[in-house]
This record gives sequence, C-alpha cells and structure tokens, in this order.
Amino acid sequence: MHIFSAFGQYILMLKNMFSKPENWKMYWKEYMVQCVSIGIGSFSIVAIISVFMGAVSAVQTAYQITSPLIPKTTIAQVVRDTVILEFSPTLISIVLAGVVGSKIASELGNMRVSEQIDALEIMGINTTSYLIFPKIVGSLTVIPLLVIISTVLGIWGGRFVTILSGITTAEIFDAGLLNSFNPYNIFVALCKAYVFAFIISSIPSYHGYYVKGGALEIGKAGTKSVVVSCIMILLADYIIAALLL
Amino acid sequence: MIELKTIQKKFGDKTILHDISAVMQEGKCNLIIGASGSGKTVLMKCIVGLFEVDSGEVLYEKKSFTKMNNEERKQLRQQIGMLFQGSALFDSMTVEQNVMFPLNMFTNWRLPQKQKKVNEVLERVNLKDTNKKFPAELSGGMKKRVGIARAIVLNPKYLFCDEPNSGLDPLTSLLIDKLIKEITIEYNITTVINTHDMNSVMEIGDYILYMYEGYRQWEGSNKDIIYSKDEKLNEFIFASEFLKDAKQIRMIEDKEISNKK
Repeated sequence: MHIFSAFGQYILMLKNMFSKPENWKMYWKEYMVQCVSIGIGSFSIVAIISVFMGAVSAVQTAYQITSPLIPKTTIAQVVRDTVILEFSPTLISIVLAGVVGSKIASELGNMRVSEQIDALEIMGINTTSYLIFPKIVGSLTVIPLLVIISTVLGIWGGRFVTILSGITTAEIFDAGLLNSFNPYNIFVALCKAYVFAFIISSIPSYHGYYVKGGALEIGKAGTKSVVVSCIMILLADYIIAALLL
Repeated sequence: MIELKTIQKKFGDKTILHDISAVMQEGKCNLIIGASGSGKTVLMKCIVGLFEVDSGEVLYEKKSFTKMNNEERKQLRQQIGMLFQGSALFDSMTVEQNVMFPLNMFTNWRLPQKQKKVNEVLERVNLKDTNKKFPAELSGGMKKRVGIARAIVLNPKYLFCDEPNSGLDPLTSLLIDKLIKEITIEYNITTVINTHDMNSVMEIGDYILYMYEGYRQWEGSNKDIIYSKDEKLNEFIFASEFLKDAKQIRMIEDKEISNKK
C-alpha cells in the first residue's frame, strides 16, 4: 500500500512543478547552477570511468577472440557498440545516480529538516517548482552530454589500449569503428540517457523533498534514493532495449 | 487582523488542535504560549498555511485563507514574514544574499537599490559588517537577527516568530524581544509569536493565547496574567517557587499602590 501512496505523492510532486515562475531570472540562475553542479561536478569521474571502461572492454574482447578467422576489426566494432548501447548510458547513469542522486537527496533533505523549504513556502514561492524543476531540467540538459562525452572517451580508451598493447594497429581499429556502423544506436543511447537523467534527478528529489526527521533520515533518504534510482535505471534499460532494438 | 475560527487539526486519529478561536490584534505582539506538545507550533503552521486545517477557518482581513486558491495564497504570503526557530537561513548564501533573496524574487529593483534596502534592514536589526559572512560564521543571536531582517525586508503586514528566544542567553533573548516589539510598532505589523519564554510574555505580550493540550485555555494581556485565577495557566507561568513568590510580591505591591491612590 505504501508503494502506491509514495508513487501518488511522486506524481503530485511532478505535477506541482509546473506553475508560472515567480521570477524567470531566478529560475534561470538556479538552472545554470544545477547544470554546472551536475556537469562540472561529475565530469572527472565520468571521464575516468569511461576511459577505463573502453580499455577493459577492448582488452577482454581481444582475449576472447581466439579464432584467426575473426578479423581484428571486430574488436573495434564490439567496443563501439557496447560502449554506445550499454556501457556509456547505463553504467555512467548508475554512477551518476550515486554521485548526483545522493547530492540532490541530501541537499533537499537538509533544506527540509532545517526549515529552509518552509521559509521559501512562506515567502510565496512554489518550492517544487523552484527547487526541483531546475534540477530535473539541468539533468536532462547535462547528463545526455556527459553520456556523449563518455562514449567518445570510452571508444578512445579502447583504441588507445589496443594500440599501446599491440593487439592491433590504429588503421585496423579505425576501419573497424567505421565498419557497419548503425547511427540508430546513437538514437537508442540518447533515449536511454534522457530517461535515465529524469530518473536520476526526480527520484532523489522526491526522497529529499519529503524527508522527515533529522540527520539520520537524510542519510537514509540518500541511500534509498540511490538504490531506487539504480533499480529504475536497470528496469528502464530493459524496457527501452526491448522496445527499440 | 488575523482571526481564527474553531480551528481543528488532526494527525491520524490524534486531535492536536481542538476548536481554537482567537483574534490576533493588528499592530500588536500576539503571543501563543503553552508547554511543549500543547500545539503551539501546529497552530502557527496552520495560520501560515504550512499545514491545512481539518475544519475551521483562518481569516486574514476577513478573507478566508482556507478558501483562497494558490495564486491568492501566493499574493498573501508575500505580505508575511516568518522567523523560524532555527532561523532557516540558506547555508550556501551570505548574510547579504539571504536578506536580498526575497527582493531578488519579488521585485524588479536594480542592484544598488536592493543593496541599500538590505543595508537598511541589517542596520535596523543592529547587524553591521556582517554582509559577507555565511550563516555558519554567526552566533545564534546574530542568526535570529538575520532571520528577522529577511522577514521584514519586503515590509510585510504580518510577522510570525516561532520560538525566537530558543537557544539564546537571557540578555540576548531580551534584546531580540525588544527588537521584535520595536519593529512591530515601527512597521505597524501584526506580529504572532510562539514562545514559552516568560520574559517575552511579560515584556511584549499585548495579547496572549495560552494553549493547554490542544485547547484554548486562557487569553488576555500581560497585565491580566498576574491576576489570572486559571490554575493551569498559573502552574505554567509561575512554575518555580521563585516566580510564585515574585507574583505574590507583585500583587501585594500593586494592592499597596492602589490603596495609596
């Protein structure tokens, strides 16, 4: 029963976000703050994970290709498609659910517990609109960009490692990258990125906004939001793959 | 004027407020007092609309807050300032940014005009040279002053203070009380204060509403309270032997003065 009431509360929270802003300038400022916080704040971890993810994917693919009948270009194809379709959108989103999601939940939770949200309400500000909407729109702007950057860095990591370790040459790897490339995969990856961005920002916002209690509950809300976000990302990943591929 | 008409509030099966009626006087300090758990904070949150009442009405200038739509409530709330128990300052903003926030949100003023207003209210609450400090760098009393400055920066008609003296030493408490009283008179604000500080009751209570276990037990002014025969109120106000003695002495003194006259 609790899950249905929580879901209803989540939907109402999303519905309440849509109201005329009290001041467009302040909302724009908050949106930019969120874009910087999510984008710049997560860039380094996304870059590091992406390079290693591509590198490991290349090395392990090469390790499994034992038959001399399979061309070396296959390594680049496998790295390209796994990175575009799965590793960059899903793995990076799961990492971001931890980094960004816990930050959003704890920020809002702290504001709730210290009555800062009540203070905004008293001023006549729609708090879901002012506090949550910029976070969701900021995530929808920045996370797909991070996924695209991650894709590029992942493929570059795979290329760098295969050349460095002598698995294949740069020419063969590049030929493999261009071989039977399907641009539709990019579309699928971006679909995933947008859906995951919404999950990463809205679920922690819900858990933080409605937190009750004190410091302990803020911590619990952060953990719960990350767990729920990760499960929802994996569920959405399966649904998008089943529908679009 | 704020009028409360038979307000009832329940949480689950438990009734927290039982048919509370009162009239908060315009341009005066109105105090809601009572022991912990008597429903003071819930009542205040019902008045400002942070909690929806289950039955009854809150009337602002005879307009029912309960029946207002979101837009009307937004308009009204821009005339309300509130000082929270923990001050509720925005941690990531400086003192100046905290006080300027309502101006940024609700006015189209230019920066120099906003800065002038901010300096004016900060000076009014006796805070100077703190503009660039963050809330974490301030003492409890200073935080309360910043909270008051933020609450009055838009020249509100109504000021709500939730336990303004909690966590403060007696001297700072007196200064905060004095400041609230002065601001109430100066800006002609209807102030509602939620407290269990007896100094506040005696010093600034123009109208006092005493709550007991969710009921309106007594109402009157700080002058009436000394002579009140209400047992529960006397138990609450004059809880210590020292205060009981002080009450007796005050009553004897008053009697002597009236006899001389």
